[in-house]
Amino acid sequence: MAHIRVCVGLLALLATTASAPAVAQPIEYAIKASYLYKFAPFVQWPPTAFASPTAPLTICIVGPDPFGKMLDDAVRGQRVNGHPIEIRRIEAVHPGIACNILFAGSEAGNEMLRAMAHEPVLTVTDRSHGGTGGMIQFVTIGGRVRFAVNQAAAEQGGLAISSKLLGLAVSVTR
Amino acid sequence: MNRSPFLRRLMTALARTPAIGIGIASVLLVASLGLAYHNEDQTRFDKVREVEVQARVLAASLAGPLAFDDETATHEYIEALKASPEFDAVGAYRLDGQLVAGFARAGEPLPATSRAGHPIVRGNEIIVAAEVAQGGTRLGSVYVRAATESWARRAGRYLGIAIVLVMACLLVAVLGAFYASVSAANRRLEAEIAGREEAEEALRQAQKMEAMGQLTGGVAHDFNNLLMVASSGLELLERTTDPIRRDRLKDGIRQAIERGAKLTQQLLTFARRSPLSPEVIDVRARILALQDLLERSLREDIHIEFDFADSLWPIEADPSQLDVAILNIAINARDAMPEGGTIRIGAHNYPAGRENKHDMVRLSIRDTGGGIAPELIDKIFEPFFTTKSVGTGTGLGLSQVYGFLRSSGGDIRIESEIGKGTTIFLLFPRSSQSIPRREIREGALSRAGHDATILVAEDDEHVADLVCEMLRELGYKTQRAATAAEALRILEESGPFDVILSDMIMPGKMNGLELAHEIIRREPDLPIVLMTGYSDAATSAATEGFALLVKPYTMEALGEIIGRALRGECRPRQPVDQ
Repeated sequence: MAHIRVCVGLLALLATTASAPAVAQPIEYAIKASYLYKFAPFVQWPPTAFASPTAPLTICIVGPDPFGKMLDDAVRGQRVNGHPIEIRRIEAVHPGIACNILFAGSEAGNEMLRAMAHEPVLTVTDRSHGGTGGMIQFVTIGGRVRFAVNQAAAEQGGLAISSKLLGLAVSVTR
Repeated sequence: MNRSPFLRRLMTALARTPAIGIGIASVLLVASLGLAYHNEDQTRFDKVREVEVQARVLAASLAGPLAFDDETATHEYIEALKASPEFDAVGAYRLDGQLVAGFARAGEPLPATSRAGHPIVRGNEIIVAAEVAQGGTRLGSVYVRAATESWARRAGRYLGIAIVLVMACLLVAVLGAFYASVSAANRRLEAEIAGREEAEEALRQAQKMEAMGQLTGGVAHDFNNLLMVASSGLELLERTTDPIRRDRLKDGIRQAIERGAKLTQQLLTFARRSPLSPEVIDVRARILALQDLLERSLREDIHIEFDFADSLWPIEADPSQLDVAILNIAINARDAMPEGGTIRIGAHNYPAGRENKHDMVRLSIRDTGGGIAPELIDKIFEPFFTTKSVGTGTGLGLSQVYGFLRSSGGDIRIESEIGKGTTIFLLFPRSSQSIPRREIREGALSRAGHDATILVAEDDEHVADLVCEMLRELGYKTQRAATAAEALRILEESGPFDVILSDMIMPGKMNGLELAHEIIRREPDLPIVLMTGYSDAATSAATEGFALLVKPYTMEALGEIIGRALRGECRPRQPVDQ
């Protein structure tokens, strides 16, 4: 299921993004914000990652926050496998930090993520902003937001990524 | 037949009217319609579940594409369902309810928005809207509309069953009708068989009477001779005083009377209407008993000889039919010898051998007459075949012989030579049973000083006087009553009596049999002896088990039966209902 899917039809929403990037910037991040929490159902954390079945699933934003209020809006009321979603904005990371998903939006994040390689944390970066170290990397193809998956990195952190998600990725590193 | 009672009742009911068969067929039809309806319901339920499952499978597949806006993948999944004709419309919707992709084949287009909900069955359509979710996170929904089986397909599916069903119903109805007609035919057949049995019974009696008719001439002639002996003997008795001569005359008269009595007794026995009942018979004794009747029914110019082998095997046959058969053959022999001749009746054992598989007793009746032409031999046993002139024979005689032999399991053979005579052989199978012994009659004439008192009920004064005289001679005291009512009165006033001796046919309200019933009611232990000269009355008394004296009887017979009555051996077999 690792073949690359090529988008043919474009939604009006995204067409707007492609033709007018300056205006579309927030919309692109709105999509990324919604994807960020939607990754969670397709990922399986080791049992030790959660203190209890109802413990919150924490999404950490390290460094500059490109989403702002959009992310908070997107996750409001959502639950993943019974876990409510919590957003944390942090300045730096270290092993053992209480994060389940970690988004590093800038080039500087790559270095920080290297320290987290063996942690059960789903790291997400944005390739269009130089972020190449994450297990999942947002890419923009033909004006559409897609993502690439580094499955090997995820396995190193003890995470299992659903084949459904792998099937949608533009590329999968094994 | 080992049919269960229920089945038998059902079959009987079926036999009564084919309507029941049609009724069963209708019940079958209604039951199967009900079954079909239930089946239809079940099928729809199953179909709903099937569509639900399909929708869920689709929802699971669409979780990723819907979550990450991959329309291509969404399209591909939905297109895959398009290949199946059962889906009329399929759509994928985002979480906010907006349509992402889908198709609508027939009927109304896809709804613009949709949310998950319970399945809806609307006419021929099943609509299922299932949630798309992953890891408990709702991501959107799918909409699936499927057509239930079309009426045409359903009709096609049921048509085959319906044809089989209708055929089965038809079969039940036809079988019912058929069984009813067969039963009706069977009933008719049974009635016919019963009718035929009656007719055969009547035929047997007719054959007997035919033989009787043949006898009558000879018997009447014989009676005239006996009466002649008696009347002339009496006349001579009055004229002579010589005691030796008187004794001789009295002996002659007594002998004539005894012979006459024996002859009428044989005629009465012979003519009695009796059902066919085979008994073990000693052929020799039976034929010798018939001797008087034979001699008197044939002419003086015909001589009868007997030739019986020693220790003949017993046979099993109806005795009176055997008598009739012998008489019929003898009468034919008589008629074949107009100039007189000899009839030789013989019987020999005929052991199993080349000609017969079993031991037989062979009875032969040979005459010295003119013989039978060879071309007629095969015909003589046919009913109503006769060579005699109209009015002298019915042609039933030998057919009776043939029928009797067949029903006894025997056979009949004829040897005849023109001018020399005819021999008829009757072959009877040997019986494995032995001949029942007759009771030895005790000497009853002793005047042992009985001192018992006997009430004699007899309407005929002369007979009553004679009977009382004989009883006194035997040493009994007697009292006489002329009617049944008088007998009951005397029984009450002058009793007790030791034996009641009553005639069966008496004037008045009560006959002898009714008198006997009344006496039994009053004094159950009092012995009763009935007497009659009438054979039907004798039969009814014998049926009830009463001791019976058949008139005319001798003093010896009277003494014997009274003796038995006094010893308590003369009781009705069964209690009499009153």
